[in-house]
Amino acid sequence: MAKGAQTSSAKVHFAAAKPRSDIRTVLKGGVLALLVLGVAPFFLDIYTVNILIRALFLATLALTVDLLWGYTGILTFGQSAFFGIGAYACALVFTHWGFGAGWAILALVLGIIAAMAVAALVGWLAFYHGAAPLYGSIVTLALPIVLTQIVFAGGRTTGSSSGLSGFPTYYWSIEIWFWLAGAFLVVVTGLAWLFVRSDMGRVLVAIKENEIRCAYLGIPVPRIKILLMVAAGGIGAIAGFGYAAFTNVVAPELTGFLLGTELLVWVALGGRGTLIGPVLGAIFIDVTSSYLSGSFPFYWKLLVGILFVVVIVALPQGLMPVVTNLWRRLVPGKRSAAEPAKLAAAPKREIAESVDKPLIVRGVHRHFGSLQVLQGIDFEAEKGELLSLVGPNGAGKTTLIRCIADGYERSGGDITIYGKPLGRWAPDRCVALGIGRKFQAANVFATLTVGECLRVARYRLDPPSTWASDTILNLPEAALRIVEETGLGESLATEARHLAHGQKQALELAMVLALEPSIVLLDEPTAGLTRVERERIGTILTSLTERERLSVLLVEHDLDFVRKISSRVIVLHQGRIMLDGSVDEVVGSELIRNIYAGSAQGGRGDPE
Amino acid sequence: MDVLLLDIVTTAAILFIVASGLMIILGVMKLINFAHPAFLTIGGYAAFVITQLGWNPWLAVPFAALVGFLLGLIVERVIVRPLYARPLDAILATWGLGIVIGQVITIAFGRQVQFVQTPISGAMEFLGQTYSTYRLVLVILAIVLAVALTGLLYFTRFGLNARAVTMNEDLARGLGIDSTKVRSVTFGLGAALASMAGALITPLISVDPNLGLPWLVNSFMLVLVSGVSIPGLMVAALILGGAQVIVSTYVSAILGGLTIVVLAAVILRIRPRGLTSG
Repeated sequence: MAKGAQTSSAKVHFAAAKPRSDIRTVLKGGVLALLVLGVAPFFLDIYTVNILIRALFLATLALTVDLLWGYTGILTFGQSAFFGIGAYACALVFTHWGFGAGWAILALVLGIIAAMAVAALVGWLAFYHGAAPLYGSIVTLALPIVLTQIVFAGGRTTGSSSGLSGFPTYYWSIEIWFWLAGAFLVVVTGLAWLFVRSDMGRVLVAIKENEIRCAYLGIPVPRIKILLMVAAGGIGAIAGFGYAAFTNVVAPELTGFLLGTELLVWVALGGRGTLIGPVLGAIFIDVTSSYLSGSFPFYWKLLVGILFVVVIVALPQGLMPVVTNLWRRLVPGKRSAAEPAKLAAAPKREIAESVDKPLIVRGVHRHFGSLQVLQGIDFEAEKGELLSLVGPNGAGKTTLIRCIADGYERSGGDITIYGKPLGRWAPDRCVALGIGRKFQAANVFATLTVGECLRVARYRLDPPSTWASDTILNLPEAALRIVEETGLGESLATEARHLAHGQKQALELAMVLALEPSIVLLDEPTAGLTRVERERIGTILTSLTERERLSVLLVEHDLDFVRKISSRVIVLHQGRIMLDGSVDEVVGSELIRNIYAGSAQGGRGDPE
Repeated sequence: MDVLLLDIVTTAAILFIVASGLMIILGVMKLINFAHPAFLTIGGYAAFVITQLGWNPWLAVPFAALVGFLLGLIVERVIVRPLYARPLDAILATWGLGIVIGQVITIAFGRQVQFVQTPISGAMEFLGQTYSTYRLVLVILAIVLAVALTGLLYFTRFGLNARAVTMNEDLARGLGIDSTKVRSVTFGLGAALASMAGALITPLISVDPNLGLPWLVNSFMLVLVSGVSIPGLMVAALILGGAQVIVSTYVSAILGGLTIVVLAAVILRIRPRGLTSG
């Protein structure tokens, strides 16, 4: 981002953050849950309480799987590993070092640190810019297998395949263990509830929906995923520690791949992305399994397997939404959805005047194998310039846009943005330099509301709250104008997937402008729009360049539109700049007529 | 040294046979079949049934393939087809199917370990070493399988259609290829290969309801590292299988069990599309 003075004029009503959180709901629910758990041991037999304690610890672990998979879209097979680390920390310290309050705290802390370190390592390996989602799953699949083998290799120290048992532990009454496990689950669930409903929680869903769009909104996706993995690992280790201290037995299965997949079964059946569903699913299935393991072990597991397949195929959202919908139908009442945030103008930002050329491209080339898609691209963009890139399909226009928006993309050459060289950086760092990119096809977060999409786009400038959601949404004037003029302002609470095509395009443009970019890259922003919508966008673009002195780089096929709004036109053909000049020079040129009339044949496939 | 070499080659052959069914399905359908171990188990029990009937043990292989193929067709129709647009969910659904198959087998055959009659027993002299004849036969079978699969993909109508679907399903459909049928037959074929592999490995291991499970992750890793091609899978099986044998022999058997998984995770981090793609 260009260093702009944060000035505020009288007209601007910059609103201070007013967070709103679900804390009351959580407190009410938490107190209720604690009351139920408080009296439960007095109504249940010892056997049931016993298996419930185990189930409560496992339910907390399932909750972390829901955070990773249900909310953020990281399909993890390895959450059991962190549970196992916590459990083995307890067993190893109590068996080999000593037992007592000090040792217990040490074991717990060691377990948490070890789990977090492993989670950080796994996250660093699995999540990087451009990683396939499957790769993360592969790493989480490898993790429990590696850990189990390490336990096997541990010989006497880890008890190898038979595990460790009979180590000293706190032989508290069973009620105390039950309350501890229950309170831990309630606290973690409450915190998770606040977290997923916060503005940060919406960012997680945005990552699940569309990781690439997130990266181009300046959101450091790999870092967020790694941090989430580390937090989930720490919580998993605490649960494992409690489990081991209570049951007094640890076995390699606790770290294993099978428990990892069982967690996925519980979460999927309960309802991914609902928190409560996975918790109830884990408790119900684990307790029932324990009951039936004596009498009908195979038939019960068969039933769970069938149910799991049916739910995945026919009811991907799991059973929880079915229950909530039924509840809503049976118990009518006022359930006002949360008010969408109110829009406000962000403080006005001035474009730095000290820099002469906002964008300098020197000798940029890009090849895919032996296919040269761009060669020797040299050009500059001025402040307040609307520069159109035209050329036939496959000329390299989109590739050039990508080279500017993603530091890894170009094969060679230099790009300077507001005086700063663009390094080999992921798109989120390019956004910080002041680049905003709109994709060719409308690219928004389908299940987020319009307001939430815009909020996610403000990630870098108004860091989202982790435990609450802001009631005010600050947007720069340009984004506000788009929102108001295209009627998005009335649909702030509408999920983006329900918008009409033109509104989706407008929303994405507003999201890009919400980044307060100094250089805007637009890849056919008006594709599929009506003439009225197109003219409106055109007016907004020209005012952006004229009034706010932004540089806009526009890829466009419609030469009439280009003629109306551009201040300069570059013609790309077969990966080279053929012409660079004023609108009149270019549009009237022989070359343009040849290219567009098709006499200059050079059809090579579009690399995309 | 020669024994080590034979161990490496035969291990690679076994890995190739076991992973080929998973690879065919992933290649053509872009789908990871986590029911793969269940189909291996089915093949193992098919061999067990043949043994119980007292038939020629070689019959186990075609019998297992037939059972696998028919079951694969049904599974594709009922479970896999609705999930083409949700590849990660398809992993989970096929995993659930694996649980179901495992339990049905447990209910039908019991949980105890069974043994299957070996088609060829004993050892033979090879390269100056006395080595298990059956393992050497598996090397020949692996080569035959690789040739047969290549022939199927490159010299038959089905292979042409399957390759067209692999490269560009929409275009293939536009050209009148029945991609639904291609997918259905491919899944059947993959399941048949897995069951056949199960029948082929049972003389080396005992038969129990979880027989396939230990093979899943290694097969999966090999297929990804191979870049989903038949020569790639051979190379991956030789390199990773070889590394496993070497680590097991010289370091420890437990670390040997980790070798494929860890190496594959590292290789895929450096070359996300596997060994054979540019």
